[in-house]
Amino acid sequence: MEIEKELVAIELEIDSKESVLAFLGSRLLEKAYVKEGFVESVLKREETFPTGLPTIPFGIAIPHTDGDMVNESKIAFATLKNPVKFLAMGQSGELIDIKVVFMLALKEPAAQLATLQKLVGLFQNPETVSKLAAITSAEELNDLINIKA
Amino acid sequence: MKKLLIICGTGIATSTVVKGKVEEWLKENNLTQDVKIYQSKVSDEINRIDEYDIVLSTTLVPDNIKDRVIDGIPLLTGIGIDPMFEKVLAEIKR
Repeated sequence: MEIEKELVAIELEIDSKESVLAFLGSRLLEKAYVKEGFVESVLKREETFPTGLPTIPFGIAIPHTDGDMVNESKIAFATLKNPVKFLAMGQSGELIDIKVVFMLALKEPAAQLATLQKLVGLFQNPETVSKLAAITSAEELNDLINIKA
Repeated sequence: MKKLLIICGTGIATSTVVKGKVEEWLKENNLTQDVKIYQSKVSDEINRIDEYDIVLSTTLVPDNIKDRVIDGIPLLTGIGIDPMFEKVLAEIKR
């Protein structure tokens, strides 16, 4: 899946998890890729089932919610100028400094398995995590996602 | 055949990725015939966790079922994958 230019934010200057999610969510909402209430739903889910991953050398978060809040499957992306804290997935109360955010708006995740697998493949290599954090354009991001299978 | 359950918060993105990774691993190790994979969300499974032989989770589970669950986060971060699969393998061979 190609990540659209309008859904890519580079070196976002923002100071909280909530702001990042609201920012990316509003981009998705502007194009009607998600339904009203998507951001609230993601925020709520993040409380119960956090999505921060302790990847090396920077943390990556993959906020998402149920497919019924989504009109069309898309991924929004942001790198953050200053890391913000997300709770760690599968841990109780552990906070992670997040530098890269992939907001997943997925209607049917199984249909996007190839893309999800590629992303997770990138997360597992410190070199590609660093590259993700240093992305300067949507084009560069898509190249990176598509090259590293 | 062993029943392997994969759970995440809402049974959406994360468990889909984990399932893909586990399927690859089963294939590489010629274990496809030994394991049947189920994918779900944690809230649907808490009360019937005993129906499964192996449980991999990417989300926090209640204390009473904690001992039954193997942490699947390594499949997302790449950190600690080998020890995690050793645990899964031990359960398959049990």
